[in-house]
Amino acid sequence: MNFILEKQALPDLLQTWRANFDVYLPQNLERFTHFMPLAAEGVTVINEPHNTRIPPKALFLPMTETLVKFTRFGGYENAKHEIEPRIVFALRPCDAQAVQLLDTSFLQVKYSDPFWLERREKTITVALGCHEPCDNGFCTTVGYGPFNKADLDAMLTDLGDFYLVETFSEAAETCFNGFANASETICVQALEVQQRAHDQMPVAFETENLKEKLEQNFSSNYWDKVSLSCLGCGVCTFLCPTCFCFDIVDETQRRERVRNWDSCMFRTYSLEASGHNPRPSRVERTRQRLSHKYVYWLDQVNQIGCTGCGRCVRYCPVGLDIRSMLRQAQSLPFEVSHAS
Amino acid sequence: MPDIEAIKSEAKRLLSEGMVEVMLAFKAGETPLHPQPAFFRTPDDVDELVYSSLNQNNLATYLTRLPKESKVSMVVRGCENRSVNALVVEKQKSRDNLYLIGVPCEGILDWRKIVAKAGEAVKSVNESEQEVMVESRSGYYLVERKELLHDSCMRCSHPNPVSADILIGEPLAESDSNLAREAVEEFEALSVKERYAWFRKEAERCIRCYACREACPMCYCTECFVDHIEPRWTESGATPAGMQAWHIVRAFHQTGRCTSCGACERACPMDIKMTYLTEKLNHDMKEKYNFETGLDAQTKPPFATVTLDDKNRFMV
Ligand code: SF4
Ligand code: SF4
Ligand code: SF4
Ligand code: SF4
Repeated sequence: MNFILEKQALPDLLQTWRANFDVYLPQNLERFTHFMPLAAEGVTVINEPHNTRIPPKALFLPMTETLVKFTRFGGYENAKHEIEPRIVFALRPCDAQAVQLLDTSFLQVKYSDPFWLERREKTITVALGCHEPCDNGFCTTVGYGPFNKADLDAMLTDLGDFYLVETFSEAAETCFNGFANASETICVQALEVQQRAHDQMPVAFETENLKEKLEQNFSSNYWDKVSLSCLGCGVCTFLCPTCFCFDIVDETQRRERVRNWDSCMFRTYSLEASGHNPRPSRVERTRQRLSHKYVYWLDQVNQIGCTGCGRCVRYCPVGLDIRSMLRQAQSLPFEVSHAS
Repeated sequence: MPDIEAIKSEAKRLLSEGMVEVMLAFKAGETPLHPQPAFFRTPDDVDELVYSSLNQNNLATYLTRLPKESKVSMVVRGCENRSVNALVVEKQKSRDNLYLIGVPCEGILDWRKIVAKAGEAVKSVNESEQEVMVESRSGYYLVERKELLHDSCMRCSHPNPVSADILIGEPLAESDSNLAREAVEEFEALSVKERYAWFRKEAERCIRCYACREACPMCYCTECFVDHIEPRWTESGATPAGMQAWHIVRAFHQTGRCTSCGACERACPMDIKMTYLTEKLNHDMKEKYNFETGLDAQTKPPFATVTLDDKNRFMV
């Protein structure tokens, strides 16, 4: 269904939703925006020209989460989290796509993560398409785009005084119940805006044969070159919407087993109990980060594991830029692999 | 701005004469806001060298990552020179293996402040002594330099390199070293309760990415206390206790070692203020021991010094 949502009507609509849902949307925190639950007198900040600093993955995979509580005499019980029905509003298409990518890890047929599952089932995602694409993002290069609709309940297109709302699920339709249907002309107008935004984004690097090039040059000094100035911090991975590595730790004082975000860029991530570290330096760790996104995800689910959100580009403290790293990979030698 | 060609020709000379193996400086980044630290090994590499006020890192952080015996040259600003001295004092590098090309520093421009003024898609940044011209998607912005300086640089009292082997450019006026007090005055004026609320608000935004640690030249421990497992010193997660412990202990480990460069704050992805803690410690060092970090490459920080007449007899 396609609806018209006047911009003026938005604050009231969000408040109406609050009766039945926790409404998460980008709000100001220091000099950036952050997904936080809307308060009764909350202000909406959805006009920032790029995505939030912390990706919405944090709404599904919290930075720290208790999994198990131990009792005093050797017993334990699984942690319970109160998860209310939620609407995540104005997330950007790259970030919505990332949540779908993460589903492939957390919702596997044999093992699915109960907390992830419950949060996903109780969440309605209403994305805001990017009619003016952000600066450092490169979503179209990796096969997605500023109006990529994968795995959304609804998508907004900014058309000046109003939004066109496209709904893709019944749940979302109910949320916009009572709003006027959009005419054919408006839908055509929106399509043009969407197409224009898509075309506006330059190709950041070629993806053709990129997987083969990275894979076949596992031992190349290309990796030394691109990792030279890397500090080995967790910025690019913690802020990445598709990075999901975690560490499980027993906080014995609190008698809890917790899951914390972790990062392949950390030395301790791959450090083994024997003291051996199979990824001993930033060279191997950088190779892991890029290869996970541009080789291993493809092997596993046939999708690139980067949605081009641009966060690692924008926030790397030493200006290391994945786009330029991958552009440099373009000239690596490779042989076409023949599928058997 | 210093003469970039003069920096380059000195760098080329050092490399071609084999005086150093590697030259640490910056090269242009993929975007105008983020020049990248670079390692130049041949005179030709040096063609890529850039110097601008957008060079936001403290290059001394790379010194301890290079082989200890390697001969290194660096382009250093005031704070970077003092960090190098502090590392030499701590025996992380021999001064004989270093050749410092000093540049008087007009202060680092904070890219976040630039984006706040000029908006998305910054295309170019051109600076003069007083003003900065920024071109972005939405047009041209002429901004006073002062408005864009990183907070730490606004308070800097030693912009000139203190022990460079060669100085390129005219030394700038040194300012009152009490300027750094400004960072702590506001904080100290608060009640204990308010101070704790301030500290909590900053610390609890932390995502424990440790970019502040990695960006800091003085955080070179092979194993940081937060990474230590047996025993575990702090809670590991992004919990209030864990984050506060990180912020307190990190700051304390900097006592008499921090040069107020602000590299930690510039690296932080969560815009967390940290220098109000380290500046307080720096001020205490000055007031109680008349010590400022890195002014020379010999004087040990007070907390690393033990004398036979120490009034705490148990120390000796
Ligand atoms: S990367 Fe694409 S989808 Fe993401 S914020 Fe930028 S333009 Fe929008
Ligand atoms: S954010 Fe930059 S410096 Fe930090 S680990 Fe990633 S690439 Fe390295
Ligand atoms: S790798 Fe970088 S651009 Fe790609 S999804 Fe992660 S943070 Fe975004
Ligand atoms: S850089 Fe910022 S967010 Fe990261 S650990 Fe340091 S204070 Fe925390």
